[in-house]
Amino acid sequence: MSTTSDDRSAGGIAAPAGDRGGILEVFKREPVALAAFTIVIFSMPLWIPVLGGYEGLATLIVIWGIFVLGFDILLGFTGYLSFGHAAFFGGAAYVTGFMYRDVSDNVIVAFVASQVGTLILAVVIGLLAMRRTGIYFSILTLAFAEMLFAAALSIFAPLTGGYDGMTRLQEPNLFGVKMDGLTIFYIAAAMLAIGYAMALRLRNSPFGVMLRAIKENPMRLEYTGINVWRYKMAAFIISAHYAGVAGFLMVTYEPYVATKFLHWSTSGEVVIMSVIGGVGTLVGPIIGAGFVLYFQNVVQAVIGEQWRLILGLVFVFVVAFLPGGFVDLARMVWKATGNRLRARRHNVPDMELTETKYGTEERLR
Amino acid sequence: MTMTKKGASRRSVLRGSAALAGTALVTPHFFVKNAWAQGECATVGNFPVEGPTVTFGFNVPMTGAYADEGADQLRALQLAQKHINEGGGILATLQPLALTGQGVLGKQVVHVTGDTQTNPDAARQSARRMIERDGVIMFCGGSSSATAVTRQYLAQEMGIVYMHGLTHANETTGVDRRRYGFRQFFNTHMTGLALGPILANEYGGDRAAFHLTADYNWGHSMSGSIKDATEAQGWNTVGNIATPLGATDYSQFLVSVLNSDADVLILNHYGNDMVNSVTQAVQFGMRDLQKNGRDVQIVVPLYSRLMARGAGDNVEGVFGTTNWNWTKDNPGALAFVSAFEEEYGFPPSQAAHTAYVQCILYANACEMAGTFYAPEVIRTLEGMTYSGDGYDSESLYRAEDHQSFHDILVVRGKAPSARTSEFDLLQIVDTVPRSVVEYPIDTFPGELGEYCPA
Repeated sequence: MSTTSDDRSAGGIAAPAGDRGGILEVFKREPVALAAFTIVIFSMPLWIPVLGGYEGLATLIVIWGIFVLGFDILLGFTGYLSFGHAAFFGGAAYVTGFMYRDVSDNVIVAFVASQVGTLILAVVIGLLAMRRTGIYFSILTLAFAEMLFAAALSIFAPLTGGYDGMTRLQEPNLFGVKMDGLTIFYIAAAMLAIGYAMALRLRNSPFGVMLRAIKENPMRLEYTGINVWRYKMAAFIISAHYAGVAGFLMVTYEPYVATKFLHWSTSGEVVIMSVIGGVGTLVGPIIGAGFVLYFQNVVQAVIGEQWRLILGLVFVFVVAFLPGGFVDLARMVWKATGNRLRARRHNVPDMELTETKYGTEERLR
Repeated sequence: MTMTKKGASRRSVLRGSAALAGTALVTPHFFVKNAWAQGECATVGNFPVEGPTVTFGFNVPMTGAYADEGADQLRALQLAQKHINEGGGILATLQPLALTGQGVLGKQVVHVTGDTQTNPDAARQSARRMIERDGVIMFCGGSSSATAVTRQYLAQEMGIVYMHGLTHANETTGVDRRRYGFRQFFNTHMTGLALGPILANEYGGDRAAFHLTADYNWGHSMSGSIKDATEAQGWNTVGNIATPLGATDYSQFLVSVLNSDADVLILNHYGNDMVNSVTQAVQFGMRDLQKNGRDVQIVVPLYSRLMARGAGDNVEGVFGTTNWNWTKDNPGALAFVSAFEEEYGFPPSQAAHTAYVQCILYANACEMAGTFYAPEVIRTLEGMTYSGDGYDSESLYRAEDHQSFHDILVVRGKAPSARTSEFDLLQIVDTVPRSVVEYPIDTFPGELGEYCPA
């Protein structure tokens, strides 16, 4: 079966399954992308200080990188905008904090507990929220996250420490090895690299194709006899686990649980990072996370109290002029230098590229 | 740009080797950062201090609910830096004094700032940036007990002394006390001890009180302390409703108060919460109301200038407490207020005062200890008595919980007609001496932790 440009413009399943050359090409490119990614991440403590950063910022970027990466699997692949991902990040953070405070200071125990907690949360929230799409899905996830937030501050306050957050945690360690400084950075970086490899693998697998098909047209997919619900649920749970791992790492890195981890603004921050970086590109959201955290912690000190205003302007600018995020800059440069764009821009929701016999053109759907 | 590929040009070789050299210079920083350990601990924070300057971190809320207080603290901290480097201010009155007005231990003080965003997580992150990147030897400032407590844990982990800003909850020097955290500000327990007898004296010993309490740790801490203190005077607490932080409409809670037989309303609110709740209570006619044959009264346990200004006429005659007020006329207060007014054109708030004093006390302790080595500085501050910091009598930094004890003020809101300026909002009813508010160490449990960071 050969894919024609007509199939693509019809907005159907872009069918990379038939596009064998494409798949092979990605397979060939994958080790390179992975190696490059790993080197950039692991060398962070070397180049971040040159940019005015510091060790702790590198750790923070890596942890949030895992969070947004998982978020991108849900939003970028499947097209579901969760506005309650803080529930998984914060939920795992609280479970981790609880383990460190009351049960064991061993990171493995805390890791397992936090992931079990995340799974339960994801299944419960997913079963209810995944029944709806679009804005209703977003509102439902937001509602669940806010419920958790309110619960942590009220009925669970004796356990969570209420507004002040969870303090008095034991120092996390792995059989005696303290989780601080570069140790936790390299652990988090390794997890990000593994997470990235898994996401790449996922994207290129039949499963990933299904997710993108769901984004394109779930009804059409349903009519072909595929259980769309199962794929959606799986994507949701995988995405939640990325957030859960990030939440676990956050508390292992800083033995303290802030109520903000459950707050809606955390969910919002993930959305902003993804949009700034480039939804659906995997690397883009990580760049976005790096940018936002760098801005919050380094640029803020230079700008002073108006830093939020400037960050807001950057966001508006990106959404207005660079709807594909920072990653789209590369694409624009490529196009501006007279090259043809071959791939569709999956990451820009209201715009697609169509190849016609006259060349490439952008059109609004 | 087009490039002809004919091997490496001289420029690119230079550029490349510069980049390599840069990386090489940065690399050892990570591995031998604390290679010069001294004394009892393997490593302590950013000690030793290299070069001709020493960096202080000013970590205050620039955005968020308490941004105004943060701005005033920053002014005061910059003034403190100036006085440490050039002399002036309370350096003329502070006893014991080791500072010479020429920096600390021969080094000029420079500072970096960070925004706590009035948010515990952000506060920790910005403090961490100061410690890791900017190499601060100590940091100070802040408003809200939640941010104070989390940063004090960070201070202990990193071995950096943290001099608290405005934090009023008992936990800060109670259950969450840390060896590396010091609090000059008073706490809710001290507010209760000071306010209880005066309320009983003014309003009678058999009142029925109703609390509206901001639903977070400070609010509950405040409510508990006032309840204990007033019940010790024979009052009766008939109700306590927790109101959401940042609420704007208090009518439903005020209706409950009206329907009870309470004749005193206690508002355990801070910032805009208090401005809203007290304004609405007055609009409900509470201050013109009589119950049990007596006028209904409103009490605001913790006052700030922002609150008094925001609530305007509504707080006329309303009782509360403050840590300090710029109208004090002892030599320390006069020295600080005149220096502040000269610099900025208006008098300082209590938030500014605590930040200023804390910064100078730290610098003074370093000079007295003869080192920036944190365990020595901490030992110098622990149990230190000092005067000339803006209070009429001697103050003490208690060694066991790092709480400072000094006089505190019971105040009433001033009538607009009695104000001499837009900053003259509070009338001092009584300066409650340190002996009254100094409570036994076993009042609150807690462990300070080790002198070595961990």
